[in-house]
Amino acid sequence: MKNTVLAMTGITILLAAIGVLQQGPEIIMQALMAGGKMLIGVVPLLIAAFILAGMIQVLISKETVNKWLGKDSGLKGIMLGGIAGALIPGGPYIFYPVAASFLLSGAEIGTVVTFVVAKNLWSLSRLPMEVALLGPKLTLIRYVVTFIFPLIVGVMANTFFSGYADRVRDQIRQMQGTGEET
Amino acid sequence: MIIAFIILIILAAAASAYAYKKGDGSHKNGFRIAGNTFINIAPLLFIAFILAGFMQVVIPPELIKGWLGEEAGLKGIFIGSIGGALIPGGPYIAFPIIATIFKAGAGLGTAVACVTGWALWGVITTMFELAIIGHRFTFLRLGLVLIFPPLAGIIANIFF
Repeated sequence: MKNTVLAMTGITILLAAIGVLQQGPEIIMQALMAGGKMLIGVVPLLIAAFILAGMIQVLISKETVNKWLGKDSGLKGIMLGGIAGALIPGGPYIFYPVAASFLLSGAEIGTVVTFVVAKNLWSLSRLPMEVALLGPKLTLIRYVVTFIFPLIVGVMANTFFSGYADRVRDQIRQMQGTGEET
Repeated sequence: MIIAFIILIILAAAASAYAYKKGDGSHKNGFRIAGNTFINIAPLLFIAFILAGFMQVVIPPELIKGWLGEEAGLKGIFIGSIGGALIPGGPYIAFPIIATIFKAGAGLGTAVACVTGWALWGVITTMFELAIIGHRFTFLRLGLVLIFPPLAGIIANIFF
């Protein structure tokens, strides 16, 4: 957590230095404005996303998650994770809180990795925009070529990194300050 | 964005209403978890947005367009994957850039690698991932998708 803050602050300072050298000191204001504008635009979305993620954790029982998305769900969990990923709208500040709440509720690591990768590759809400801006041919080829990827990563994660899931969960609990949750 | 917001509000409201109807204080618990998470992650999110702002200013779209140029073949695919990852922003920013390089003569494989690189290796998405779900998950996911953007470009070039 602390290291992440340090690393991200470091990259920001580095980028700022490059920007100032290239384009002069006024870019700092420009960048802060650009970031600030983005942040203000997504605050309502962020609040809704965190409420949704919180409710998922209290509403969906461990047993339900286990049955559908957990260890024993296997390929079914991966498929459901992929469908959920394709359906969820919005940017990373929305689907990552939801992905974290899936993991904490007991979803298997492969299910959640598939959820995230399917959001990135199968996203339905992005499809009209992709067709409009890139054209139907390029979009179709892109979907066909990458179609299987979300399922492959889910199976790989479950096969090779099943034991790693608890370490991921520990870190999320620590980050969310909900270490006491079970 | 507006549609995403409406869908999300409906989902959040429905889940909250359902939790309230359960009558066992679940909704309070849900709000408490949401508030805790938000407060704890807020500083990281704040840095992530500032970082995103700097990326947009320091890496202007013209730079990436010039960089990708008319490269084709395997070299184009690799440059496309990395260029896609560096595009700072969501689909509204990424797709017009990729459309421009494709129309300017970049190969099909380069364009497919670029979209896939943006979707899977995207630096800004990865920053949010680090901030919200932690580096353990982030590194695992990145490791698993590492070969996909160039692979997608290669498959596109071979079959289409």
